[in-house]
Amino acid sequence: MRSDAARRVLFVLLGLAFGFALSRSGAGDYDFVQGMFLLTNFQLFGIIGGGVVVTAIGLQVLKRTGRTIHGESITIRAKVLNRGTVVGSLLFGAGWSFTGMCPGPVLVNLGEGKVYALAVLAGVLTGTWLLGAAYDRLQAPMGLPAIEPASVSATAASPASH
Amino acid sequence: MPDLNMDNTLILHGLAPMNWALAGGILGLVTLLLLWLTNTRLGVSSTYEDFCAIASRRPYFTRPAIKGSGGWRLWFAAGLVLGGVLSAALAGGWAPITDLGMWDTVIAGGPVLKTLWLFGGGLLIGFGTRLANGCTSGHGIFGLSNFEPASIVAVAMFMGAGFVTTNLVYRLIFQ
Repeated sequence: MRSDAARRVLFVLLGLAFGFALSRSGAGDYDFVQGMFLLTNFQLFGIIGGGVVVTAIGLQVLKRTGRTIHGESITIRAKVLNRGTVVGSLLFGAGWSFTGMCPGPVLVNLGEGKVYALAVLAGVLTGTWLLGAAYDRLQAPMGLPAIEPASVSATAASPASH
Repeated sequence: MPDLNMDNTLILHGLAPMNWALAGGILGLVTLLLLWLTNTRLGVSSTYEDFCAIASRRPYFTRPAIKGSGGWRLWFAAGLVLGGVLSAALAGGWAPITDLGMWDTVIAGGPVLKTLWLFGGGLLIGFGTRLANGCTSGHGIFGLSNFEPASIVAVAMFMGAGFVTTNLVYRLIFQ
């Protein structure tokens, strides 16, 4: 990969554009999220739908060429469907409703200065830690994949899958 | 029926929202650029596993998908926070905000209830998204666009659960 510093700057800039759009569009706004679920405000359906259409078209083009800008082969590993997908998404949907935030907007709201997003952040981190702590016990009942062993050379590992 | 934000403005400085098609276009474009420029699949909820991996040695948090990913998510996350800062600063100045829209007018609890409510919701988000292996970005935007069965199921489940929860809260319990 090109220089690590350039790559980091790129990730920050892409995150900034993504975060700005989430902030200004209402995707990170408590009332807009409730309006979506109450079917009184269709803004978020439009944002998600628009994002999906643009991404779906672009993915078709990228899959046809099959290469990144640097000529690497593009690797997309589809997510696996299991009982955890169903149960986890049901829990997440309730949490999204309670807070008006999904994982990206938690960070965007913090940036905007919304003090209460700190409580959500603390909850998300605790919930993530609890899932990690309970993973072994959930694996069989939820049909989750085994944890991959820590890689021998962490830096040479393949790109993240999720 | 409580006041359901019919004036259609953001909590942030009472702004009118950005056009939905423009916002969706930006989200899609960033998703595609992440893949084309860096061979990276968009996904935000696993960022919180990177945070946990800083403090935890559990095999779940040290697995290659987290520890071997070069930490890109933390840089993207920094961008998300900066995006919020820039948005507020350009909108009329950055200042701490404690307003929570409809929650304040309809549920109208004190700061302790508000904190517990949001912490509880956050617990469900953190535990749920990682159990489901994705959230609105990885399943919702990327997975749906890629027609992945797991993501289609995930989106149906979290949209359904959100619909039921919000309608219970604002049309049944508090009104």
